[in-house]
Amino acid sequence: MIWKLRPLAGSLAFVCLCASAVAEATPLTPEEMAGAARTDGLSIPMPGEFLASLNKLGKIDWGSKMRLPIGTNYTSRPQMALNLGGLIADGYIAIEAQDQQQVKNIGRDVLTLAGALGVSKEVKERAGSITSFAEKGQWDQLKEELEATQNEVKQTMAEAKDQDLVALVTVGGWLRGIEVVSGQVAAHYTETGGKLMRQPGIVDFLNQHLDKLPDKIKEDGSVKIVRKKMGDIQHLIAFPIDKAPTVDEVKELNKLAADTLKDITKKQK
Amino acid sequence: MKRLLLTLVFASFTAVSALHAATDGEVAARRTALDVAGAFANDGFKLRDGFWAGQFAPGKSKILQVNLYAGNQYYFTVGSTAAAKKVLVTVYDETGKPVSGEPYLDTSVAATGFSPENSGIFYVKVEVVDGAAAEYCLVYSYK
Repeated sequence: MIWKLRPLAGSLAFVCLCASAVAEATPLTPEEMAGAARTDGLSIPMPGEFLASLNKLGKIDWGSKMRLPIGTNYTSRPQMALNLGGLIADGYIAIEAQDQQQVKNIGRDVLTLAGALGVSKEVKERAGSITSFAEKGQWDQLKEELEATQNEVKQTMAEAKDQDLVALVTVGGWLRGIEVVSGQVAAHYTETGGKLMRQPGIVDFLNQHLDKLPDKIKEDGSVKIVRKKMGDIQHLIAFPIDKAPTVDEVKELNKLAADTLKDITKKQK
Repeated sequence: MKRLLLTLVFASFTAVSALHAATDGEVAARRTALDVAGAFANDGFKLRDGFWAGQFAPGKSKILQVNLYAGNQYYFTVGSTAAAKKVLVTVYDETGKPVSGEPYLDTSVAATGFSPENSGIFYVKVEVVDGAAAEYCLVYSYK
């Protein structure tokens, strides 16, 4: 099927049986937009999607975006979930850097944290595939495998009635993505780059999930930090469509994300 | 690549069944969508592992909010069961205005591709243009 369709995809010149489809489409009403569905599976971009947009701004030294390994022996499950999300985002960065060893190290750490969260059985096979793809330098397949791993972790958590932790995995990954992208844009500022920070829908969606967490999870030290900082972050990334943030605003955003990530990797007393 | 697609289809069965009782129709719609979306991979597009499935009918379209990044290129593909003779997928910006794209229509599957000029919220509408109520599955690819 794929090969039959290859010419179609290759040219991207699709047979248009409804050439005026867009022209005929009527605008959505405010009610339709307000009632639109939002799902963790498609409404929230994966870290890899965000990083891909950064590649359009120029050549990126992805190796310099990697951070020192974070701990994997937390005692708080919400903190584990937040850091698992960040680790998966680290995996995308290592893939962009095409660093085989880092990909394997991160895959191992993901497995460790997933094990602590009780989902290692499901992730073990994926971790094996990640190692295999890394050794062969199959970077595109690695990105797909990493996304599948994240979805499988979330799915298993949801099945195990750990749905609340799913949102934390998403938040951790998104924070790591915004830290890297804002850091790059702040260091090489352009208005086009600054506009990449505009993500009002994502923070709104994530904050709604954070607000709905059970009180017990909200009282966790790492979650308290994240809820406070996400409120601050929202002000910086919900700017009007025709306005770019200043370099100082991007730097402030970068600092907020970086500080939040540092705080959630610290062991809680 | 074929193996990868089969893996994705299989994984989706598991995922759908965990979220809600997956119907045979949703699984078939997903397969139809992946048949077309898989072709974009040959042009460097990455297929998101996630998907959005359900039921739609003539006059009862479904709308999903997504968040896209300027600079990336996207393809949204909807597959449906055969009861829908012609389906359509349309992307709108955050003000609700339709954005121009590269549409592809073929009975129970449709796709549209575009590159956003600004990052932010977009809406994706899937609808039955001709036929009866059916099950659908939306996937998207980016590069």
